[in-house]
Amino acid sequence: MNILSTIIFLPIIAALFIILLGRTKVRSGYNLALLVSFVVFALSLYIGIGFDPGLNQFQFIEQVNWISSFNIQYHLGIDGISYPLILLTTLLTPLVILTSKTSPKDKYHQYLASFLILEGLMIGVFTSLDGLLFYIFWESMLIPMFIIIGIWGGNNRVYATVKFFLYTFLGSIFLLIAIIYLYFQTGGYAITDFHTIPLTMNEQVFIFLAFFLAFAVKIPMWPVHTWLPDAHVEAPTGGSVILAAVLLKMGAYGFLRFSLPITPDASAYFSPFILVLSLIAIVYIGLVAIAQMDMKKLIAYSSIAHMGFVTIGMFVIFGLDNSLIHTEIKSLAMTGAIVQMISHGLISAALFLCIGVMYDRLHTRQISDYGGVINSMPKFAALMVFFGLANAALPGTSGFVGEFIVILASFQINPWVAFFAATTLIIGAVYTLWLIKRVIYGQTSNQKVEGMTEMTTIEAIPLVILALLVLLLGFWPAPLIEIMSTSVENLVNHIAHSKL
Amino acid sequence: MMLEQIKLLMPEIIIATGICTMVLSSSIKIISSKLISQIIAAVTLMAATASAIFLLPSESQYLFDYQVIIDPLTSGLRISSYVIVLIVIFGTDVNEKINQNELFLIELFATLGISIICSAANLLIIYLGLEILALSLYTLVASNKHSIESTEAGMKFFILGAIASAVFLYGISLIYGTYGTLNIHEINSIDSTNTLETQIALGFLLCGIAFKFGAIPFHTWVPDAYQGASTSAALFLSTAPKIAAFALLYRILIDGFMAISETWTIMIQVLGILSLILGNLIAISQTNMKRLLGYSAIGHVGFIFLGISTGTKNGLESSLFYVLIYVLMMITAFMSLEVLSSKKHKVELISDLKGLNNSHPWFALIMLFVMFSMIGIPPFAGFFAKWSILTSLIDANMIYTAIIAIVMSVVAAFYYLRVVWYIYFEKTELSISQIGSSSLQQITVSCVGLFLLFLGLMPKPLLDFCTKIISSKLLID
Repeated sequence: MNILSTIIFLPIIAALFIILLGRTKVRSGYNLALLVSFVVFALSLYIGIGFDPGLNQFQFIEQVNWISSFNIQYHLGIDGISYPLILLTTLLTPLVILTSKTSPKDKYHQYLASFLILEGLMIGVFTSLDGLLFYIFWESMLIPMFIIIGIWGGNNRVYATVKFFLYTFLGSIFLLIAIIYLYFQTGGYAITDFHTIPLTMNEQVFIFLAFFLAFAVKIPMWPVHTWLPDAHVEAPTGGSVILAAVLLKMGAYGFLRFSLPITPDASAYFSPFILVLSLIAIVYIGLVAIAQMDMKKLIAYSSIAHMGFVTIGMFVIFGLDNSLIHTEIKSLAMTGAIVQMISHGLISAALFLCIGVMYDRLHTRQISDYGGVINSMPKFAALMVFFGLANAALPGTSGFVGEFIVILASFQINPWVAFFAATTLIIGAVYTLWLIKRVIYGQTSNQKVEGMTEMTTIEAIPLVILALLVLLLGFWPAPLIEIMSTSVENLVNHIAHSKL
Repeated sequence: MMLEQIKLLMPEIIIATGICTMVLSSSIKIISSKLISQIIAAVTLMAATASAIFLLPSESQYLFDYQVIIDPLTSGLRISSYVIVLIVIFGTDVNEKINQNELFLIELFATLGISIICSAANLLIIYLGLEILALSLYTLVASNKHSIESTEAGMKFFILGAIASAVFLYGISLIYGTYGTLNIHEINSIDSTNTLETQIALGFLLCGIAFKFGAIPFHTWVPDAYQGASTSAALFLSTAPKIAAFALLYRILIDGFMAISETWTIMIQVLGILSLILGNLIAISQTNMKRLLGYSAIGHVGFIFLGISTGTKNGLESSLFYVLIYVLMMITAFMSLEVLSSKKHKVELISDLKGLNNSHPWFALIMLFVMFSMIGIPPFAGFFAKWSILTSLIDANMIYTAIIAIVMSVVAAFYYLRVVWYIYFEKTELSISQIGSSSLQQITVSCVGLFLLFLGLMPKPLLDFCTKIISSKLLID
């Protein structure tokens, strides 16, 4: 069996075993889940050895005819854009499973199985090179996420999960229409064929809008973001982590894999619109985040604001013509967007884990219930402050690299975009640091906070790993940028050619 | 020559023999038991399936002076309906008090009706099959003798059905008046013009067809009959007759009136869109599980009609594909309800399913499969059903219709999700702790449920099956 299929189906098969083990053998289920997710992570690192970043094409290709009458293929492959996202997914799943040990839950075996199935499907999304296969992974992901929020979520979980499901389902079903339409144009579902097929402006506009609905909801962009705060607040810690770190990236990945290369002219046409929405997300949603009383909600809004940078990086490039000098700036913007995706994946995951650690002790997410946590949990407080600073884009952390590159590149294209985007350096600092001040520092107003015990080793391990990665990418992002550089350049060159 | 022709009707003869055997065995007191009837029904259907497979023709063949047609479509639909009735028979609870021997007898009669419709090539033969089927179904709905609701539903169904039959028959007589023949083969070969008479006649025939499918505005019997009938009866009612309805539609509209397809495609399209929108909207407010499935069935019929309304070969294939998958989904849904019911407590309301995951995680999972399949979420069969309809709509340049269809499937998602959330998200224990179903039923429902997943991963065989039996008639494209 090929390695990409292995990392997709190994977790799914393991999940079936865990369900069969049942609720009586939860301990062995936990061990199996942990083992499998680590093996998958190891395998995805192993892919890195064989992965050639300089190669200008998809690698580790697997291609089998699936439904020949409609030319649907089981077609997998990765490039420099998808590989970092796969690593992010395979890294976070074992961490999430590891931390779930401290909060034994009702129907724990189903919990573990849901996360493993979700992992397999997410990897499937990032590796599919066939449009329908992509859609199948993309849509099936809704099922485990629906279950995760619905069973193990907070008090208002049913409302949140149904809203999440309907919102994303409504968006993504238009993607299906667009994919089927493209099938009739190319005679197959291969995404690479979609990339090269010439389309008229009218067709491009419709296809772009269909894609946009699917991906903008997933990212989410203002004003279709309203499902995210609800879903985040109600989801269990692990669910929030995966949701913020990986699921949101899928929308951005969809733009990179579908919208930009398939409809470059429509993307150019709509780019001012997208830039405005992204800036609204950064400025307005940033302000909304300041006003939040609930920690998870605050981080959820901050996620929306940070994802604004990703869409800016991707769409600001249309402000330049296609001369050769500009290619470098465009590549820079695109690189910044992808670095921001990875960096936000790490930081938001860490912040949700931190909130989870506190929630397990006090069972509240209200900021006002905390204060002075540093007195009872000094080590934890240090990590939380670090991630808060990373979220506010402190130089030396990965948060800085992504946002700085995007601002740097957009300044050369459109200084106004750069100006408004840069306000995040203030707004982001306000909401994050104020959160830190009220939760970690200050007087201990709540008696219970004094009784909080320092985090356990199992809680600490994921946070330390994430902290190291955030620092590593902050000081030395070169390896990440090198992995993606060829693919990004290739994408930028492809977009530069009009399809009309 | 005659013997050759009769040989091709072997499946019907086998079923008729099975019916006689069952009548005889029920009247002999010593061997009269529900189990014996079940065995006879199962053996009969297996034999009929085997003979239908064995006699699979390679090309169309008319029998008895163009009264009966045997072609791949006949065989394909016959085989599918026998298999489905077989599953229904396996899934019927024999310990249930209200399910007497006659339940199986009626179901076999109905199967005979379906079989006749599948192979009819004359409007009167079609009518014959239709009435055999309809009369069996009325009885089936009313078969729960001790329930007032069942009797009421049977009565409603009978009156409405009788009107629909009368309208259908009137359409037939108009056709006879216009064309001078009832032979579909001849109707097709006559260079028919699109006159007002044919349009009215077609409209009447369509009323009959739409009634059989349960499309809006001929849907009023559906929720009442589904709710009133016992679950075993509803299991049959909601599934196999839909195949007959497809055969009816195909035989009349495609075989007979393909030349004036622009007249009926628009009618079918309007009915389809109406069913899609109203069926799904009304379903939202339902609290009774069987009623919910009734309205959801109307919504599914909307999808099926949209596929047909394209008037293309792809559209027909996708509709047939949708019908088959729809039937499998409905079987699983109703059978799950039946499996979960016990003597003391029937699962009727959605809220009866609360906390199912806590007490019976396996059946909760099967229900999850069915519900997500009905929404059309991959990797379940329902996804490919919707996908194939959308593909044929986009192929026929009906993009706006496709958009209506997908928006309505998001609306539909809401009420299916509600079932999932009652099953999974409620912390209470299930009110029914003991389920009183036989292991045969449990195995059957598990197999069909898993088959939905399998079809979602490997839809190719079924897609090819549909292509094969539709493509034999290259009247269109």
